Amino acid sequence: MTTHPSGAVLALFAGGELGSVLRWRVERHVAACSECRREVSEFSELRAAVPVIMEPPEISWTKLAAEMKANIRLGLEAGECVNGGRSVRHGVFSVRALAVCGSLALLLVAFLLERPTPRVEPVEVSEPAFLESSVSGIQVKSGDQSIILLNTRARDARDVNYLASGNAMRARYVDTETGYVTINNVYAQ
Amino acid sequence: MSELLPPPPAAAERQNQFVSDNLRRIFLQIYRIVGNIADAQDLTQEAFIKALQRQDQLKDEQKAAHWLSRIATNTAIDFLRRHGRMAYCEVDIHTESEQHSPEELLLQSEHRDYLEDGLRLLTARERAALVLRDVEGCSAEEVARRLDCSKATVRSHIANARIKLRRYMARRKR
Repeated sequence: MTTHPSGAVLALFAGGELGSVLRWRVERHVAACSECRREVSEFSELRAAVPVIMEPPEISWTKLAAEMKANIRLGLEAGECVNGGRSVRHGVFSVRALAVCGSLALLLVAFLLERPTPRVEPVEVSEPAFLESSVSGIQVKSGDQSIILLNTRARDARDVNYLASGNAMRARYVDTETGYVTINNVYAQ
Repeated sequence: MSELLPPPPAAAERQNQFVSDNLRRIFLQIYRIVGNIADAQDLTQEAFIKALQRQDQLKDEQKAAHWLSRIATNTAIDFLRRHGRMAYCEVDIHTESEQHSPEELLLQSEHRDYLEDGLRLLTARERAALVLRDVEGCSAEEVARRLDCSKATVRSHIANARIKLRRYMARRKR
């Protein structure tokens, strides 16, 4: 090495970070060059001083450590609250369980979508339907078939009134105990 | 489905042990990068909380300590990036041994200020690389792993840091 090595190379040489070939070349140069030797020596002194520079001033470690431990515990508890009490610790288990549940849900949806739906045959009504009001509610009659829309509390109700209009009937009940009003509207087709 | 907290007592004890075993080391590591006790305290807590929230990473003690160091370094570097260079501030330091004379304390304080001014010239990554290499004695490969960069980049950071500090000291001597 005829020219002087750069400052960066000498800085790395002082710290032993150069590769073997370059280190050998710099070693030979430094042995013969007092200027570079001085620079390397300064870098070495600096390296020795750095750990001392970076030491913190004397502090009450016991107090500081206790404070930090308490804050870490507090931070973790706050994190647990934010996560809704779910532990990340069981992450692997959770992922597996989630995958199984997901697969089952998919199968269920597929089954529900693909299952044969029973066909509902329309009921042929040969006779016309009639609407009748009674004490217990409104009745729809067609031939020998009938259906009643019951109002279970109709007997105890007050202000019961029925209103018929065309093929529709309306019943209005006022509950004696609660004062609630129930209105039933029935349309016959 | 996830099981619900709280963690079993054994796990809580393991957490406490993990904190006790690594607290001082991590605090010092962060302090050396940020150069400020109050910030180092906050960042140490942050690093531990980050680490302990991923307990699956803490099964192997040695790997966990290594992983924690990485979190600590990155937390400190991120902090310096957010806040610019190191921000020294006055802190109320309670000394445990009060054996120094006022003159000695003044000299120490002046010397510290002088060196801290020099460290302020370094970027966050230069300072982190210097701490890991010259203070903690990590190999260049290890520093590269911790800083998540190449060995060549680490060498460049270390060389720049040493050159800046040497120039600073040379200027102050004149």
